[in-house]
Amino acid sequence: MKTKNATGIGNAIDRVEGHLKVTGEATYASEFKVENKAYGQGINSTIAKGEIIGIDTSEAEKLKGVLKIITYKNAEKLKTFDKERPVLATDSIAPVLQSNKVHYYGEYVGFVVAETFEQAQYAASLVKLKYKEDATARFILGQNKDKAYNPSEESDYERGNLKKGFSEADAIIEQTYNTPIEHQHPMELHATIASWNNGKVLVYASQQIVEDAVISISGTFQIPKKDVRVVAKYVGGGFGSKLNVERHLIMAVMASKMVGRPVQATVTRSQMFTNTGLRQSNIQVVKLGAKKTGELTGLLHETLAYTSTTQEFQEPCGSMSKMMYNVANAAVSERLVPLNLQQPFSMRAPGEATGSFALECAMDELAWKLKMDPVQFRIKNDTQEDLSQEKPFSSRLLIECLTIGADEFGWNKRQQKPRANKKGNWLIGYGVSAAARAAPFNETHAKVLLDLTNDTVTATLQMDATDIGTGSYTILAQTLSECLNVPLEQVVVELGDSDYPITPGSGGSWGAASYCNGAKSACDYAIAALKKNRNVPNDEDVSIAELLKMNQITSYESQSLAKPDSEFKKHSIFSFGANFTEVWVDKDTGIYKIKRMVNVGSAGKILNPKTAYGQVIGGLTMGAGMVIAEQTKVEPNFGNFITRSFADYHVPVNLDMANVDVIFLPEEDKIVNQMGIKGIGELGITSVAASIANAIFNATGKRMRDLPITPEKLLMAEVEDGVTV
Amino acid sequence: MRPFTYTGTTNRNEALKAFTTTSHYLSGGTNLVDLMKEHVEQPDQLIHVKNLQYNGISKNKDGSYTIGAMRSNADTANHKDIRLYYPLLSMAMLSAATAQIRNMATNGGNLLQRTRCPYFFETSMPCNKREPESGCGALNGVNDQHAIFGYSDNCIATHPSDMCVALAAIGATVEVQKVDGGSRKIDLEDFHRLPGDKPEKDSNLEPGELITHIHLAKPELSNHYAYVKIRERSSYAFALVSVAAGFQIEDEKISKIGLAMGGVAHKPWKLIEAEEFLLGKKPIESNFGKAAELAMKDAKPFEGNRYKVPMGKNAIVRALMQANNIGE
Ligand SMILES: Cc1cc2nc3c(=O)[nH]c(=O)nc-3n(C[C@H](O)[C@H](O)[C@H](O)COP(=O)(O)OP(=O)(O)OC[C@H]3O[C@@H](n4cnc5c(N)ncnc54)[C@H](O)[C@@H]3O)c2cc1C
Ligand code: SF4
Repeated sequence: MKTKNATGIGNAIDRVEGHLKVTGEATYASEFKVENKAYGQGINSTIAKGEIIGIDTSEAEKLKGVLKIITYKNAEKLKTFDKERPVLATDSIAPVLQSNKVHYYGEYVGFVVAETFEQAQYAASLVKLKYKEDATARFILGQNKDKAYNPSEESDYERGNLKKGFSEADAIIEQTYNTPIEHQHPMELHATIASWNNGKVLVYASQQIVEDAVISISGTFQIPKKDVRVVAKYVGGGFGSKLNVERHLIMAVMASKMVGRPVQATVTRSQMFTNTGLRQSNIQVVKLGAKKTGELTGLLHETLAYTSTTQEFQEPCGSMSKMMYNVANAAVSERLVPLNLQQPFSMRAPGEATGSFALECAMDELAWKLKMDPVQFRIKNDTQEDLSQEKPFSSRLLIECLTIGADEFGWNKRQQKPRANKKGNWLIGYGVSAAARAAPFNETHAKVLLDLTNDTVTATLQMDATDIGTGSYTILAQTLSECLNVPLEQVVVELGDSDYPITPGSGGSWGAASYCNGAKSACDYAIAALKKNRNVPNDEDVSIAELLKMNQITSYESQSLAKPDSEFKKHSIFSFGANFTEVWVDKDTGIYKIKRMVNVGSAGKILNPKTAYGQVIGGLTMGAGMVIAEQTKVEPNFGNFITRSFADYHVPVNLDMANVDVIFLPEEDKIVNQMGIKGIGELGITSVAASIANAIFNATGKRMRDLPITPEKLLMAEVEDGVTV
Repeated sequence: MRPFTYTGTTNRNEALKAFTTTSHYLSGGTNLVDLMKEHVEQPDQLIHVKNLQYNGISKNKDGSYTIGAMRSNADTANHKDIRLYYPLLSMAMLSAATAQIRNMATNGGNLLQRTRCPYFFETSMPCNKREPESGCGALNGVNDQHAIFGYSDNCIATHPSDMCVALAAIGATVEVQKVDGGSRKIDLEDFHRLPGDKPEKDSNLEPGELITHIHLAKPELSNHYAYVKIRERSSYAFALVSVAAGFQIEDEKISKIGLAMGGVAHKPWKLIEAEEFLLGKKPIESNFGKAAELAMKDAKPFEGNRYKVPMGKNAIVRALMQANNIGE
């Protein structure tokens, strides 16, 4: 699509919502002015498995300001699961406080409502719970492999003949890769304000998918959808943790009904560890075989992960292994072990972020064994067809990503032999990885309201889409500016309200593509209808103001939708990328520095280079975090998380981050959707960890297969066989 | 947080008079307030002492310096005389926490900051330091950040301060004001305790004693110095292991030396044997290596923190090498 004006798509304009955010005027969930609201605070269990056998609320009740203490004894009856461990989805019900059973450490066992936040918090600490502990609780994935089962969602995948594939190989590697529990930790804490009015509930919430939140709330309380309104105007980051309705929200809705007042619930940062989702730990085995000449002959990717004892969630670690390379014989399987830990759910690039670590490290290991350049090895195994879906890719510029990235990075200066590049106490290494992330596009509805006043058209867009900090407001304003050919100042974007037309929300890298195409369809519909009324030929260039005048109207409302067409369904749709990393490892201390990164992506039309850059930088940083230090540590005897604040859950700091070069390849994909948009929200994080780990191998000769790669682990690791020190 | 009363004052005697056994002095609050939010500390009263007049940095007749207990870590570390005469202290202090925390944190509070042992922070876990007789969760649990020297079965925690490691290397005395009006001086080496059978006590302060000054030893280690801190990210992380090293060279030999480690014990860990070994020796890598061996020979690590032994050795050698090469 050609850009008609300076604020249309493709322009690197500043965020339209930026000023509101830096001046504090953007209203996040807990900031809506609601009269007479009370505050609720969840009480967390302090055992991992067992039953509550006594509750003493007397001390808490005596406190000034306490309005209500809710436990399983007096909680409203909610819809509960009708089978054991149902699959968790974004619109699942979220029952809470329905029995005296405790399934994991930190589970909500009560909710205190008081006049102030401080009173509620203190009262919550005074509620005394007596438990009967069940000693059969299980916490550690590696120690419970025998409890694994085949999850219902993903069945085993196989193509070709794996045995034959490996027998044809000249070189085979088989390794195990471990990734820890991680937490999403968006900056904005989960928060909600719920208020009932005439049997209808209004919920201000921090949610990524407004429509699914409505379904979840109505399902949990067994009330009609039309009686639930969810508003999420601004969301301060989600990373998957706000896809689902979490229990504090349900408790706030319940409490508001019980005390007859609006109730606000904001979880604490330490509750963000126990009550708002996480990325599960995985143990992945990857076996790869290839001919001397580099052609892959076999690929096996087995994942063992945990789920909670109450619901099932599988992070599809093998998804990239299925489609990435031209290997005729491949098998991917996933197994789950139920543990007494918090329910896992999606965290940015679920499956790809962790699966790519295993696959792309294994590729590096095999390249090293074949004495092949790892860039060339990947190029050799490129494919333009997704062998797992037996469909061509709508577009795939992986080879270009790799070659352009290699040039930009100076890959030709890399020594193939580890420990060959030294400077003082530093060992210097280069690493590469390739990335792919599905680029979904889902049905999206949008409404556009046109208003003509004093010769000036104001276009207002309404949809229930959310901006989770990515810049949805901005790219949608650009889309309207483009499609209606009006300057940005004449565009108003209104999002995040379930009263608006339904969208798939933000998540899974589908937001930008879905939202923008949805908005475009409403604009196109308006223009076409207004032209048709006055018999203006479709290809005639008439301004939107002119069209309204010709129709002798001053306002017009159009609603339409965009959805995948048949061409879309005939193709496999992914964004691709390549990561190059230079690390410097201190030979004596295990400290290392990520000096430089080059990231090349091909992700269709880039709507706004600024917001896109932000997405990729954020992804790279989160990917670097996976390597540097991010991990939630499980206490082996009690099952609690001992990392419970940002002081001990280490996310990268500025000093940890490299000089980063982000390059978007121009890519025109006519198949994916009308605007040619693919997702980039999760491409940035995919495979970053592998490129860093591969660089660490190149620097030190040590294969680090357990994330994160902390100084203590790196120092204690042995150099691989065959590497000269 | 449990409700408490707040007493703000600029008058020392008022502060001391207000003290009761369930009170806490509040200085920068960067440690105390966190612990109150976690219900680990539950004082009835906070006596805000940050505004008492102990925030100077002054030179004494013998060339040594005295720093005020209420002065912020940032203003201490960045003071021009401290940078000039006690660069090791400045370097260690600036490696701690973040700029924002260092702006709030004070020297007195830094001395008394409590361990980062995760069991100590979680009131539902056993911890002898927080709740005597409840057991030590770390002993058979997660102990990767814990001590390798000087611990007891009752507690294996470490002291988390960077500043105190540098003070131990340089030599310092802590001056405190007693509730009854008198004052006393405590050698830094006797200020912090090993856990023994009283892990709940971090220091040898008596209840109500108010820290007013830290007297630094004469600045004799300012030519060759280094603070090496190994941590899980480039800033805003406590040390896995740290080493403060300072020495003087005369006639190509080490004539004066201060060496201490952090992250390895319940108090800043002086490396006395290594110091003695290096005195009179040439500042060369082989000697540094031998000193490091000596320093670590009695280390008794746990399952989770075995790495601290090789890491500690390497850090000692690195700190000494870096100190030796300074200015080159
Ligand atoms: C996230 C985080 C990371 C950190 N990282 C590091 C690090 O890497 N390295 C490091 O060294 N430190 C680190 N710190 C700790 C920081 O240095 C201490 O919290 C700080 O020095 C404490 O000083 P304060 O003035 O805030 O003490 P407060 O919190 O006010 O008080 C601490 C204790 O000292 C007592 N107290 C304070 N002043 C006096 C006095 N004059 N007389 C008697 N008693 C007194 C108080 O009663 C209290 O018990 C970190 C802290 C945080 C929160
Ligand atoms: S090491 Fe000390 S602080 Fe940690 S749990 Fe044991 S007693 Fe408590």
